Amino acid sequence: MKAATSMPAHPHLRLDRLKRHYAGAPAPAVASISLDLPRGALLALLGPSGCGKTTTLRMIAGLEIPDDGKILVGGRDVSRLPPHKRQMGVVFQSYALFPHMTAAGNAAFGLEMQGVARADRARRAQAALEMVGLGALAERKPRQLSGGQQQRVALARALAIEPQLLLLDEPLSALDAKLREGVRDEIRALQQRLGTTTVFVTHDQTEALAMADLVAVMNGGRIEQLAAPEEIFERPATRFVATFVGRAARLSGQLEPGGVLRCGGQALRSTATLPPGPAEAYLRPHRVRLLEAGAAPPPGHDNLLEARLTRRIYTGETIALETETAAGPVTAELQAGQDGPWRDLPTGAPLRLAFRAADLAVFPAP
Amino acid sequence: MKPSWMLRLCAAVGFAILLLPGVLVLIVSFSAGEFLTFPPPGLSFRWYAALLSNAQLMTALGTSAILAAIVATVSLLLGAPAAYAIARLEFRGRGVLAAMLAAPLLLPTLVLGLGLLLVLQPLGLAATWPGLVLGHCLVAIPFAVRIMTTAFAAVPKELEAAAWTLGATPFRAAVRITLPNAAPGAIAAAVLTFLVSFDETVISLFLVGPRLSTLPVEMFRYAERTADPLIAALAMTLIAFALLMVVLVERLIGFTRAIGRD
Amino acid sequence: MIGWLLAAPALAVLALAFVWPMAGLFRISLNRTTETGAMEAAVTTDSYARLVGDDFTRELVLNTLTLAASSAAIAVALALPIALLVRGASPRWRGLLALAAVAPLLVSGTARLVGWMAILGDQGMINALLTGMGISTGPLALINNWTGVRIGLVESLMPYAVLVLLAGLGRLDPKLEEAAATLGANRARTFLRVTLPLAAPALLAAWLLTLVLGISAFITPRLMGGGRVFVLATEIYDLALETVDWPGAAALAMLLLGGLLALMILRGVVAAFFPGNRAEKTP
Repeated sequence: MKAATSMPAHPHLRLDRLKRHYAGAPAPAVASISLDLPRGALLALLGPSGCGKTTTLRMIAGLEIPDDGKILVGGRDVSRLPPHKRQMGVVFQSYALFPHMTAAGNAAFGLEMQGVARADRARRAQAALEMVGLGALAERKPRQLSGGQQQRVALARALAIEPQLLLLDEPLSALDAKLREGVRDEIRALQQRLGTTTVFVTHDQTEALAMADLVAVMNGGRIEQLAAPEEIFERPATRFVATFVGRAARLSGQLEPGGVLRCGGQALRSTATLPPGPAEAYLRPHRVRLLEAGAAPPPGHDNLLEARLTRRIYTGETIALETETAAGPVTAELQAGQDGPWRDLPTGAPLRLAFRAADLAVFPAP
Repeated sequence: MKPSWMLRLCAAVGFAILLLPGVLVLIVSFSAGEFLTFPPPGLSFRWYAALLSNAQLMTALGTSAILAAIVATVSLLLGAPAAYAIARLEFRGRGVLAAMLAAPLLLPTLVLGLGLLLVLQPLGLAATWPGLVLGHCLVAIPFAVRIMTTAFAAVPKELEAAAWTLGATPFRAAVRITLPNAAPGAIAAAVLTFLVSFDETVISLFLVGPRLSTLPVEMFRYAERTADPLIAALAMTLIAFALLMVVLVERLIGFTRAIGRD
Repeated sequence: MIGWLLAAPALAVLALAFVWPMAGLFRISLNRTTETGAMEAAVTTDSYARLVGDDFTRELVLNTLTLAASSAAIAVALALPIALLVRGASPRWRGLLALAAVAPLLVSGTARLVGWMAILGDQGMINALLTGMGISTGPLALINNWTGVRIGLVESLMPYAVLVLLAGLGRLDPKLEEAAATLGANRARTFLRVTLPLAAPALLAAWLLTLVLGISAFITPRLMGGGRVFVLATEIYDLALETVDWPGAAALAMLLLGGLLALMILRGVVAAFFPGNRAEKTP
C-alpha cells in the first residue's frame, strides 16, 4: 500500500484544496484539504474532535457545501451537487435509521428513491441485509434491534444503493468496546469484498490503523500526514502525528550537524536531516530495548542511555517500565510474559536503554 | 432531600384549590334538587337527561363540534408548514417569524374579539361561520405552530440528511421521513387546537348571534342567568371530555411539554 | 426565503384575523359617539379624553390593578409549594403531579367556575360546613362580590404560575439546598436563606405573567361577580355589546393594551436582569 507516494493517474476520489469556514467561527473548520484516493481503497480520516474530519466527510456527502475547492468523484466535479444527486452511502454516527420503517424498509428506501420497481427493490434490500448477516431480522423496526444490529442495518442501507463512495462517520463509537473489534473487522472484510471506495472518520487510532489502506491524520482543518498505517505509526511526519498517534517519550535538546541531538549531556544519533538548532525527538516505547546495567547494546543500536526505574505499569497485555535518564523520562514497553528479567526490579534500580538512530523522530522545537 | 411535611401540606392545599371545583361539579351534577346545593338533597340523572333534551344547548354543541373540527384542520394545515420552517430551515428572520406567529397569544382574547367584531360586523361577517372560524384560528394557529415546532424539532435532523444521501429530494425527505415521525405531535396538536376552539368563550361572545352560537357562549350565558345542576351536568361533560383529551395527549407527547411555554 | 413561503398561509390568516382587527380597533377608537349614541366617522381623541377624565374609569383601573395584583400574588404563593413538590418528586410522580397542576388549563373556564359556585354559593359547600359546625348562622357572602372573583381568579391563574415556576426552578440545583442542610441549616432556614432567594427571579416572572393575565381576565369577574363587580374587561364588554358605544369600547381597549404593553416591557427588562441560568451560576 504505497498509494500515498505514488499518485494514481485517475483517483476515484480527489479533494482539491477544500475549504469550509462556518459563519461566526474564529477559525475555518477545514482550512485546505487535498488528497487522492484510488478506487477500492479505504481512507481513514483520523484526528481529535474539532480537527475538521467530520466536516470533510459531510462535504463529500454533500451535507455541507465547501466555501472553496473541489470534490471530484470518478473525474466528475460534484462539489456543488445536492446530496440526493451524489449517490453516496453514508453511515451516520447515530445510524439515523428511520424509526417508522422496518430494517427492510430502511434498506429499500434508497432504491425506492432511485425509482427501482417494488419487487426488485425488495429483493435487493433483502440481499443487502443478508450481506450484513441480518436477513432474518428484515421485518424488525430499528428499536427492536440491538446497537450492533442497527449499525449493520445502517451499513446495509448505505450499500444497497451501490454507492459511488461509502462514507462512515465514527460508525463504531456507539458500540460497546467488546463488539467494536468484531464489527470493525466485518466492515473491513465487506468493504474489501465489494471493492467499495470508502472514507471512514474516526478519532480512534487503533481503528484507523487496523482498517485503513491510507490514513490522513488531521489537525486544525489540515492534513498533517497522509500515508499507509505503518508509515504513520513508525515514521510520523510532524510532531502532531508523533504525539497524537501512539505514545512517545519526548527528548528535547539541540540538534547538531550530522543528526546528532545533544540532550541532557548525552549525544543521541538520529537520521534527522534538519538544519541545526533546538529540536525535539520522539521515541516510541516499543522501540526501546531494555538491557541490564553494564550490558553491551545489540548490533545496530547506536544509542545507549543509562536509566533508573521509576515505575512499572501493568496493563495486562503490555508492561510499561517508566525510567528516568539524563536525557529525560523514557518509557520502555514489553509484551506480557517477556518481562521476566525485569519483574522483580526495585524502583531506582539501574538499567540500560538501547535504540536505533532511525527510532528517533526529530522535529524542530516549537 | 425528601419534601418536608410542611411543603407537602402547602402543596396539598394548592392541589385542593385546583381540583376541588371539578369534584364539586361532579357531585352537584348528579343532584336531584333544583339548585347548586351542597350536599345535594338526593342523587339522580335527571339533569343529564334535561341537558340532552335542551335543544338550544344541543344545537350549540353541534355547532361547536363542527367549528372545532374545521379550526383544528385549518390550523394544522396552515401551521405545520410554518412550524417545519421554524424547526428545520435556516433563513433570515426565522426568529421574527416565530415571534409573529406567537404574537396573538400575548394579547387578551377580549381585545382580539372586540377588534374582530368591529371589522367583521360592517361586512356582515359577524355571527357567520367564516367569522367564527377566523376568530378561532387566531388563537388556534399559534398553538398549532408551537406544538408542531416542538414535534418537528424532536425528529433528529440526521434522519433527513440520511434520506438525502439515499437520493430523496428535500421535499420527499420531509414528507416521507420527518412528517411520519412528527405524527404523534401532529395528533396532539390537532387534539389541543380542537379543545382550544371547543372551549373558546371570549372571542366567540363577540362573534355569535341569535342563529349561530357556540356551546361555551351558551353555557356562559346560562351560568350568568341561573346556576342549577343542569349547568353542572354540562360542565361535568366538558371536564370529562377535556380530561380524556389530556390523557390522550399525555400518551402521545407528554402534556406539560405540549403546553409549556418553551 | 422558502421559510417565509411555507409560513405565508398561516401569516396571511393571522394578518386577516389579527393585524386588520387591531388596526380597525385603533381606527374606531378615534371615531366620535354622537349625543344619540350613534357612531360618526372622525379623527378625534374625544373617547380617550372622556375616559381619562371620568372618575369611574379611574375606579375601574384601580379595581382591576388591585384585583389582578393581589390574585397574582396569592396564585404564585400557592403555586410555589406545588412547583417545589413537583421538582423534588420521583420521575414517576413528577409527571402525574405536574399534569394535575396544569390540566385545569384545558378545562373550560366556565365549567370550573360552576364548581366554585357550588363551593362558595349561599347553599354551597363552605356555607354548609360552617353552618353544620355551628360556626355561623346565616350564609356567608362568598360569591357575587370581590371575594368570589378573587378566589376564582387565583385558581385560574395558578396553573400558569406553576408552569413558570417549574421552568424557573428547573435550573435551580437541588444540591444547593442539600448543601445548606449539611451545613446545619434547618428546613425553615434553608427555605428562607437558600430556596427563596434563588427562586426570586422565577417568582417575579410568575407574578408578572399572572398579573397580565389577571388584568385581562373577563369570564371570572363576570360570572363570580354576579354583575356587581366592575373591572376594565367587563366594562369594555358592556360598552361594546350592551351600550354599543364602539369608540368608547375601542378606546378603553387601546388603553388596556397600552398598559399591558408597558407590563410586557417590564417583564422583558426583568428577564434581562435576571437571566434564567443565574441560579445555576451562583456558587
